[in-house]
Amino acid sequence: MDGRDGTLELDDLRRKFGDVVALDGLSFTVPPGEVFGFLGPNGAGKTTAMRAIVGVTSLDSGAVRWRGRPVDADARRRIGYMPEERGLYAGMKVGEQLEYLARLHGLTAARAQAAAAQWVSRLGLAGKDQMKVESLSLGNQQRVQLAAALAHEPELLVLDEPFAGLDPVGVDAMSAVLAERAAAGVTMLFSSHQLDLVEHLCTSVAIIHKGALVARGTVDELSRGGDQRVAVRVSGDEQARWTGGLGEHAKVVRVTAGTATIAVARPEDAQAVLDVARRAGPVEQFGFERRRLSEVFRDVVGANIEDLESENVSRAAVPAPEAAR
Amino acid sequence: MSRDWWALTWLVTRREIRDRGRAKSFWVATVLLMLAVAAGAVIPALVQGSGKSTATVGIVGNTPALTQVALETGKVTSTTVTVVSLPDIAAARAQLRSGAVGAVLVGNSEVLVRQQSAFGSSGLSQTLSQVAGLQKLFAQLPPAAVQSAVSHGVALPVRSVVSAGRSAAARITGLVVAILMYVIILTYGIRITIGVGEEKASRVVEVLLTTLRPVQLLAGKVIGMGLLALGQIAALVATYLILGQVAGTSAVRGASVSVVLVGALWLLLGYAFYCTAFAAAGALITRQSDAYNAALPLQIPLIIAYVLTYTVIYSTSVNTLFHVLAFIPFTAPVAMPVLVAVGAASAWQVAVAAVISVLSTVGMARVAGTIYGRAILRTGSRLKVRQVLASSSA
Repeated sequence: MDGRDGTLELDDLRRKFGDVVALDGLSFTVPPGEVFGFLGPNGAGKTTAMRAIVGVTSLDSGAVRWRGRPVDADARRRIGYMPEERGLYAGMKVGEQLEYLARLHGLTAARAQAAAAQWVSRLGLAGKDQMKVESLSLGNQQRVQLAAALAHEPELLVLDEPFAGLDPVGVDAMSAVLAERAAAGVTMLFSSHQLDLVEHLCTSVAIIHKGALVARGTVDELSRGGDQRVAVRVSGDEQARWTGGLGEHAKVVRVTAGTATIAVARPEDAQAVLDVARRAGPVEQFGFERRRLSEVFRDVVGANIEDLESENVSRAAVPAPEAAR
Repeated sequence: MSRDWWALTWLVTRREIRDRGRAKSFWVATVLLMLAVAAGAVIPALVQGSGKSTATVGIVGNTPALTQVALETGKVTSTTVTVVSLPDIAAARAQLRSGAVGAVLVGNSEVLVRQQSAFGSSGLSQTLSQVAGLQKLFAQLPPAAVQSAVSHGVALPVRSVVSAGRSAAARITGLVVAILMYVIILTYGIRITIGVGEEKASRVVEVLLTTLRPVQLLAGKVIGMGLLALGQIAALVATYLILGQVAGTSAVRGASVSVVLVGALWLLLGYAFYCTAFAAAGALITRQSDAYNAALPLQIPLIIAYVLTYTVIYSTSVNTLFHVLAFIPFTAPVAMPVLVAVGAASAWQVAVAAVISVLSTVGMARVAGTIYGRAILRTGSRLKVRQVLASSSA
């Protein structure tokens, strides 16, 4: 890829806040037209990286390129950004707010007005454009925030935790919009610390930890990589005691409600597992299982993402960014 | 800075104006200020009693001719004059101090009044001195005296028994200007602090700064608020001048106009000097509730100057401290118009203080812009100025 087609490139991004290393040589590329997930535990550096992309924080070193060029003021007008901590004028009317933000991105008054109206009705906010943002429910405020990121028809979408705080209906609406924008050829990067909740939405992901990349690829590639997994359930054996008879080529990953998830090095080992299970009793369930992204993370980092998250709570959450300019 | 740069900045300015212009509090404050100014314009008229059409004139060494002078004066000034004969100058002084008589004609030699107005002798006493002067002239009439009188004017000298100084009217105008200065700079300043704090605390600034430079956001806000302030000041000055004319306040004519104009000039200078500093204060906070605390250090110099104003307005002399304050940009917006009002500042002093203020405004804008730019995106605890200036902006 020569990078001129809308690809976003993060090239060796480094950023320290005092003694805290937020970005430690982070590099990966985001092709256009994909729902691209930017994943990792809280405090991994996702927000800092996204702020660096949109230019609201500076880098110690490294470069962000989009369409093969550094992201300058003109490029920033083509970016739709949704910050992690939502930001809207609480006392401003929905319609006016969207128009204002669209105009700041270079739209004419007439186009801004039309775009605001379109996204208001599109995101189920019809009839609320004259309401102040603060009088809306939190879910609706989120929709306004998304509309604000989309109203100027950006060609690069940078969404920081867009699913945080959404109800299931909101999650579905957000997913649909992301898929639709990706299909329209937009370059998109959205972050989440809930790897397993968003993996089905993503085409590709980059997983980071401590400011550096730990995995990058399509969700298919990543979930098929490493050991193969089979899920087996033998009738009447709730503790999966039958797995005691497995050889050394099969390793029990976990047992959930009688179903054992077993990692095998080679496909033929799965057949051996099935044989052991059948000798123990009637097999109710047998199937290959994809690795979840949280497992991909654990395999690479050697620690559970949940454990890292709870560690992070005691640390300062996201390091304070600084103005770039 | 390109046209594009200004177009974006203007969008910010317009939003500020709309946002404030729609707030009820803005209009309530405007009406209250107008009422205050209206009071400032009308009260001096009541104090000086310009509507009074009767007067008592005392005469020391009364003669029918002098009584005639007093009565003629009454006709000329449309005043019903009552003449009282007084035994001597001591009695005249006592009567003037008590206010029992408005002016005293001392023989053919002079006219005594209680306190001479800042604009020279006014109305009755002036006419009295002139008519009496004419009478004296014609009584003596040697040709040499005529020549001398023609070349030097025929009016008798007017002397006051209370020490000279600016008229009460000009002083009240000065006090009104000081109060307005204090109220307007603080109101708009704190509004800016709150506005910046809101943008920072709500994180909307993070969205804005993807397309705006911090300095554009700062400039747009300060200009927007400034235009509103300018409109408000223009309305207040117009109210003052028009109402003053209608009420016949002599304060509005002559010297007080200079107080009003100097006041308007310093409102602009004071706003320009303080506005960026208030914005920087807003950038330091992380919660809106901190806005007043963050703005407090900026209010202190204004409060000091304002409080000290009372020691000057009601006193016959101006202390050195207040003179010095009139040249310090932090306190000059309040102190300088007050100095002008009490007649203790000359034109060149006003000019020098204004130049100092303009230069300091440039410096203040630079420092405040730097603080704003570095602090506006920093979350966490409230920031200290030193800490922000020490940090890098790279």
